[in-house]
Amino acid sequence: MKLTRDLSKDEKKLLRGTYWGSFTLYAAVSPAKQGASGYCYAMIPWIERFYKTEEDKRAALVRHIAYFNTTVPMSSFIMGLTASMEKQNSESEDFDVNSINAIKSSLMGPLAGIGDSFFWGVLRVVAAGIAVGMAQAGNILAPFVFLLIFNIPAQLVRYYGGFLGYTLGSTYISKVYESGLIHILTKAASIVGLMMVGGMTSKLVVFQTTVSMSMGGTSVLELQDMLDQIFIGLIPLSLTLLCYYLLSRKVSINYLIFGVIGLGILISLLGIA
Amino acid sequence: MLYQAAIVALIVFVTVGGAESLGLSMLNRPIVIGPLVGLALGDVQSGLLIGAALEAVFMGVVNIGGASSAEPGLATAVGAAFAIHLGGGAAVAIPLAIPIGLLGLQVKTLTYIFIVGSFAPVFDRLAAQGKAKSIVGLHFGAWALQWGLYAILPFVGILVGSDAIQVAVDAIPDVIMHGLEICGNLLPAVGMAMLMKLLWDRTIAVFFFLGFVGVAYLQLPLIALAVIGVIIAVVIGQRDYQASKLAREMDQLAKLPAGEHAVVMAGAGAELDDLNAEEEDFLK
Repeated sequence: MKLTRDLSKDEKKLLRGTYWGSFTLYAAVSPAKQGASGYCYAMIPWIERFYKTEEDKRAALVRHIAYFNTTVPMSSFIMGLTASMEKQNSESEDFDVNSINAIKSSLMGPLAGIGDSFFWGVLRVVAAGIAVGMAQAGNILAPFVFLLIFNIPAQLVRYYGGFLGYTLGSTYISKVYESGLIHILTKAASIVGLMMVGGMTSKLVVFQTTVSMSMGGTSVLELQDMLDQIFIGLIPLSLTLLCYYLLSRKVSINYLIFGVIGLGILISLLGIA
Repeated sequence: MLYQAAIVALIVFVTVGGAESLGLSMLNRPIVIGPLVGLALGDVQSGLLIGAALEAVFMGVVNIGGASSAEPGLATAVGAAFAIHLGGGAAVAIPLAIPIGLLGLQVKTLTYIFIVGSFAPVFDRLAAQGKAKSIVGLHFGAWALQWGLYAILPFVGILVGSDAIQVAVDAIPDVIMHGLEICGNLLPAVGMAMLMKLLWDRTIAVFFFLGFVGVAYLQLPLIALAVIGVIIAVVIGQRDYQASKLAREMDQLAKLPAGEHAVVMAGAGAELDDLNAEEEDFLK
């Protein structure tokens, strides 16, 4: 593979270690530091490898116990990148050490933008959508299918991300960053995500009214049929858009949940559905 | 009841805690925990159905930067355990799971702030002293402590609460139970709204409606919808890439002195060919 051609055996081993270490990114997550200790844990083998003096090791540990927060599958890419920078720093006298944390903090936001849209907005929704259908049909494989659909891409991205970050180096990254490519990728991922959310809204949000008018014992007007003729899923769609509107108006999510619960009970009391 | 309480606590520890130490790998989702609780309590089918129903309710609960609206893991484990114990399936599990999910989130946030958060300065001190091994120890120690404490919640809840819940569920009139079933079908709207908040942008909002119509009218399976979405995203991504490239070249042109424009313009045709070639590279 092109990514690994120029790497030494030792570096490949360390990069595989980064993959395993990045599993625990959020094991000890706290509001102030997020994944700091997980990041540091994944970087320790690199630090031990590149630095000889205790003083250099201490400085590197302090660098990587800083605040870090991104989508987990994207994290190893930044780890690989900073590992290559630590290597440069250990080899040259005039390397600007501040650039290491600067690149971390400049990349974690945009990568979380792509990662959250893709992994949370698209992949998880597709996986859950398929698995929920299977589970409703009583298929016991549903949870396994769910975990595999989500994790195979997530693990591959995290495994190869480390190699990619390490080989590309920071100069290439800043070029990509300036070209606006990250913005384009985020938008593309969001398009797929929004389409999936639209599809899931139609599948998951369900409302069927039983209201009908009857004349002489035969029903002449089924309200649900009438609604369907206007637009299938009119009520679920309107409810979802209303929820989104209220959320974007900073209405608390808890009010929304209790509001919908109240609505459901009200509908039942009035005998609408 | 001791067995039920212990096994559900263990499931919460392994799935909710496990997800945090295994790269947020979705072990803590209702679709996984539901069948697992079912397996432990001897009714996998009910667990599966409850898991599916709660997954739909909690679909929009996303954990981004620690900000969330509920903790679906604890909610599913306890909700499914009670529903299987009392009978009644998803109609019992959903009304129980929602308040438990809200409570779980509060407790989880407290453990983040006061348990793991209190170790943050210790991490800094250990790093400054160069004690890499202690950092690793504390990293995993804080994890075990936090989720060990969190698992006490379902243990005590099931041990103490089951009689009270039994009385409550028996006392609920049918019309309310039917209302709660309707809720189960309407609540995903809140979840979808949360996902929309994550993804919504005025320029791409139309694609939400495309997805809706694709399923409501064309009856597309979600996989097909995802593939169509990717195709559209690739096409639009290509167009944006080209546009941003052209914009940058225009910028460069504008910076040149007037006399050199003609020369650069003459080369523009060749530039466009380059552009297409680079495009293809980018897509590979």
